[in-house]
Amino acid sequence: MSTFYTWMRETIIALSEAGTLPSILYYEFVINALFCAIIIGPLLGCVGTMIVAKRMAFFSQAVGNAALTGVAIGVLIGESYTAPYVSMFSFCIVFGIVLNYTKSRTRMSSDALIGVFLSISLAIGASLVLFVSARVNTHILESVMFGSILTVNDLDMNVLLVVTVITVIVGLPLYNRMLLASLNASLAQVRGIQVQAIEYVFIALVTIITVACVKIIGAVLVEALLLIPAAAARNLSRGLGSFVYNTMIIATLSCFGGILIPMQWDIPVPSGGAIVLVAAAFFLVTTLVRNLVPGFKEAKI
Amino acid sequence: MQGPAIHVENLGLVLGSSQILSNLNFSIAAGALHCFVGPNGGGKTSTARCLLGQMPHTGTIRFEGSPERTIGYVPQLIEMERTLPLTIDNFMTLISQDKPAFMSTKKAAKVLIDAALAQVDLTAKRKYMIGSLSGGERQRLLFAQALIPAPSLLVLDEPMTSLDESGARLFEALIKDLNAKGTTVLWINHDLDQVQRLAHSITVIDKVVIAHGPTNTTLTPAMQRGVFTKIKNEAA
Repeated sequence: MSTFYTWMRETIIALSEAGTLPSILYYEFVINALFCAIIIGPLLGCVGTMIVAKRMAFFSQAVGNAALTGVAIGVLIGESYTAPYVSMFSFCIVFGIVLNYTKSRTRMSSDALIGVFLSISLAIGASLVLFVSARVNTHILESVMFGSILTVNDLDMNVLLVVTVITVIVGLPLYNRMLLASLNASLAQVRGIQVQAIEYVFIALVTIITVACVKIIGAVLVEALLLIPAAAARNLSRGLGSFVYNTMIIATLSCFGGILIPMQWDIPVPSGGAIVLVAAAFFLVTTLVRNLVPGFKEAKI
Repeated sequence: MQGPAIHVENLGLVLGSSQILSNLNFSIAAGALHCFVGPNGGGKTSTARCLLGQMPHTGTIRFEGSPERTIGYVPQLIEMERTLPLTIDNFMTLISQDKPAFMSTKKAAKVLIDAALAQVDLTAKRKYMIGSLSGGERQRLLFAQALIPAPSLLVLDEPMTSLDESGARLFEALIKDLNAKGTTVLWINHDLDQVQRLAHSITVIDKVVIAHGPTNTTLTPAMQRGVFTKIKNEAA
């Protein structure tokens, strides 16, 4: 893939130098970030609709916090502190599975249980981060928490691509079953759907997607990009199709806006924060549209 | 399609420290219209859920008949995510095909959906959001989904509680029609007049089997004065 990335960057930079493309595309890290945005937008958009349907926004927040712990563990065991993917994926998947296992064996509400796990993962992460902070530049940890387009490299793009391919291959054929299981588990069971197994598959997918997006959006803010575009799209959508596609478009535009706007006007904000703020702007606009434009008022549920 | 016969032997169910069902024994003939009746909390829904394989029970449940068994299940009126922009068409698509429902509906699935919605008289509302449906309309939707694929066994858990008179008549006709085509119908029903009119056989359940047999000999005045007085009082 490195050959492809190099060819892509050289071609875009050449076109930028020739004035065919905007000058902002002269920088390799911008091209890397936009490449990630093209993948992340539709990916998070599609999964976000399911997150909303399953009321699991809080879960991805917990996984984001667990990613922070994963980074600290990675540093402790000697992984590269700029890309401790083995530790992040391993810890987060174990975290997600343990959470889901506990959820299926307790009468506690899902929100309360995720809240408990979220707090635990944050506490472990904060403790370990303090412990390892002497070994690494603390800005690395900031970039994990809030995202940094400057640090996105070929490895990060490869990880994102692999996760996207896995999500498409596994997630799309199971989409209907996942949605029905979230709407009504007993109805799904009668239809031969293995509700528990489907739940674990979904948890695993959300976990790997969250980890793959940590570098560009940040552990703390991935959840926002899973949730806000879906909430914004819901304001305007009158069916599942428009809901999913609107969410994908809003998530993608948010990524582009969050990457390009701060650079264009030299605004010193991390990419994750900027992306989420653009998504929030979409949410505000769509909420206004829904409440003020007569045609969309009918879309109210 | 001839529905299965069902044989239940020593069925028991314990949840936590509560004995929900104890030593249930009964059989339902292939193609029968069979009703479960009894007081609230007596274990009718639990029995049905055991038959559907949703409860970790003791004892044995045997289905006899064609191995290609399709089960249609109409649950009690259930709450579904009301804020999700999911139309009736979307819902029917997601239970009718593997292709993601947000993409498009396959032709074969559309034929089945059209027929099912027409049967429950929901065609005109197919673009409506599920969240905007009344209780009766949601019941119709739940019935429509049970028709895809055509069921050889239809399990109904008080499907008429939210229906108006025309809806109840429609459901009754549908159930009779499916049963006439050979579908075994297992129906949890509190309406004793309806049970008397339609059911071939009944099982009276109140944690144990109180009575079981053909409706005309089991649903006797004495039985109604006993167990069924409790049901009528609860209904009142």
